Amino acid sequence: MLNEKPTLKSTAKAFLYLLPMLLITVTFNIYPIIKSFMMSFYTKYDFFTDKVSRIGWDNFKFIFSDPDFHIAVKNTLIFVVGVVPLTVIISLVIALLLNKIKWLSGLFRTVYFLPFVTSTVAIAQVWHWIYNSDYGLLNYFLSLFGVNPISWLESPKYAMLSLIIMSIWKNLGFNIVLFLVGLNSINERYYQAAKIDGANSWHQFTNVTLPLLSPITFLVTINGVIGSFKAFDQIFALFNGNPGPSKSALTIVYYLYQKFYTEWKYGIAAASGVVLFFMILVVTVIQLSYSKKHVHY
Amino acid sequence: MEVTFKDVSLSYDGTREILHHLNFTIPEGTLVSILGPSGCGKSTTLMMISGLLAPTSGKIFFGDKDVTKQDALARKVGMVFQNYALYPHLTVLENIMFPLKMAKVKKPERKKRALELAKLVHVEDQINKKPGALSGGQQQRVAIARALAKEPSLLLLDEPLSNLDARLRIEMREEIRRIQQETGVTTIFVTHDQDEALHISDHIMVLNNGDMQQFSSAETLYDNPSNLFVAKFIGEPVINTLAIADFQGELDQHVPADILKQAVSVGIRPEALQDHDSGDDTIAAIETTVKEFEKYGREKNAQLDFHGKKLLTTEIENTLEKEQKLTLYLQKSGFYLFDQDGKRIFGGDQDVK
Ligand SMILES: Nc1ncnc2c1ncn2[C@@H]1O[C@H](COP(=O)(O)OP(=O)(O)OP(=O)(O)O)[C@@H](O)[C@H]1O
Ligand SMILES: [Mg+2]
Repeated sequence: MLNEKPTLKSTAKAFLYLLPMLLITVTFNIYPIIKSFMMSFYTKYDFFTDKVSRIGWDNFKFIFSDPDFHIAVKNTLIFVVGVVPLTVIISLVIALLLNKIKWLSGLFRTVYFLPFVTSTVAIAQVWHWIYNSDYGLLNYFLSLFGVNPISWLESPKYAMLSLIIMSIWKNLGFNIVLFLVGLNSINERYYQAAKIDGANSWHQFTNVTLPLLSPITFLVTINGVIGSFKAFDQIFALFNGNPGPSKSALTIVYYLYQKFYTEWKYGIAAASGVVLFFMILVVTVIQLSYSKKHVHY
Repeated sequence: MEVTFKDVSLSYDGTREILHHLNFTIPEGTLVSILGPSGCGKSTTLMMISGLLAPTSGKIFFGDKDVTKQDALARKVGMVFQNYALYPHLTVLENIMFPLKMAKVKKPERKKRALELAKLVHVEDQINKKPGALSGGQQQRVAIARALAKEPSLLLLDEPLSNLDARLRIEMREEIRRIQQETGVTTIFVTHDQDEALHISDHIMVLNNGDMQQFSSAETLYDNPSNLFVAKFIGEPVINTLAIADFQGELDQHVPADILKQAVSVGIRPEALQDHDSGDDTIAAIETTVKEFEKYGREKNAQLDFHGKKLLTTEIENTLEKEQKLTLYLQKSGFYLFDQDGKRIFGGDQDVK
């Protein structure tokens, strides 16, 4: 029944259905989150015996005064702002073009999907070669326009840009496919009505395509923001296990990784994870409240 | 605006032709209904007039301007789609305002006109809802308001009343007629309800299987059907149809022999079978047996057996008994003969004095 009111019995039944999923979620998602929250307060802690001797705010005090962490936060924000809007816009534009040439879109869909199913390490290897300052494809291409060779990966000035370009490229495939699905689900009759109502191509785009695509755009954006906040593997692979020249590509997760695996400062690593968690939470809540007004389901 | 089709054909896929060589002119300022069974090509015809669909061959004129190559944007017609096609993300009021927004009408003016139209179609209490929260009939009325909003010189309505209840249907039908007559907008109204078509239109175009059957006034359509299809399609209850072979000489003295030779089918309107001789208008008498007799209020209907074939009449004066023998008088107005191709060769104005 569509308008059924929840009763004790129906709630219990729903709970039973959810039980297997809940067990898995609690064990592998909820428990680790709680554990890492707790760990961020352990100031004296033996990881191997799991013995906590002292707790307090020291870990947070440390990271907030650590210049490296400041760099990491700044870099992470630059990365998110650099990657997400461009990813959304470029993948939407490509999806729109593909949607116009129906017979090609099948082939291109596969082509654009490849980055999504290829490992980040392999992609980074390819880009490593593209970015090479002496015989890289990108510098060769730029030289055709008279641009001098750029040290994409070695110069702190360009490292973040290189990282952003590669990440956008890597994100495109999946987002294009999502947008294509969204475009296909818009019924042709709305365009017919819009034409009758006097809307030219641009007005059709802004008044029909964009609003009816907004759930997908929202999904792509949220997904992109969260994924970009957590950027790590592409940095590790692109700069061969370094956070870029002079930490120019040091992100929060990279910072966390360094603290955890190379310095064994578990409490500090956990504290930076908690900070990241709240940053993502705040941004997502802002996006959700924005979506209430502007996303049409 | 006058609309002319010159030899227009259409095929969606290039193999199967949906509309065949349509030729007609819809006079300026009239309300024309396109009437025909489901799938005969009514919506397709409208789509071609609107410019959403280009004819495979032939030409379309608005006035004396050839618009065949123009798209919907350039033709500027108003249209109510069979499936309404209201914008799901806009409220009712925004939907009605949309064509005005595209025409760059100022916002307060837009709102004022949209509200007037909402009142006109009785959805003024729904203006802040999204189309998804409206009933089918309400959506239909919003679609009518949206089509009227930009005051087009040509209004296309694709079964705009199909989802309304009987009373609202008649009310909206009168409303459309009133607006049409007030504004003089040329209106093309698609329906498969003959009653609706007969009541609302100046002219009716009957379409079947992508061929135009007849294009004339409602009266002519009923009194002078050009073929068997139209005769059967128009009229309630449906015309009695018999094969010429079912008659055993009853017609011989009343129909010229050369016509009788070509005739294949006979059509007799139920009201053209009377149980009393009306003198001049009576063309022949036939002997039948009463099978059913029903009386509802003033109406008396009878089902009769004539040489093993069923006949229906609505013009009985006396009370009848089952299995009783009855002489019926065939009236000239309402008696038709059709040839092998279904073309009318006898009856109608040509043979009625
Ligand atoms: N987009 C399309 N592609 C291919 N064939 C189509 C398309 N639209 C309609 N047809 C076919 O064209 C014929 C006429 O369709 P149309 O929609 O014009 O019928 P209609 O007279 O409006 O019927 P109804 O009263 O059911 O609305 C039908 O046989 C239909 O199957
Ligand atoms: Mg139709």
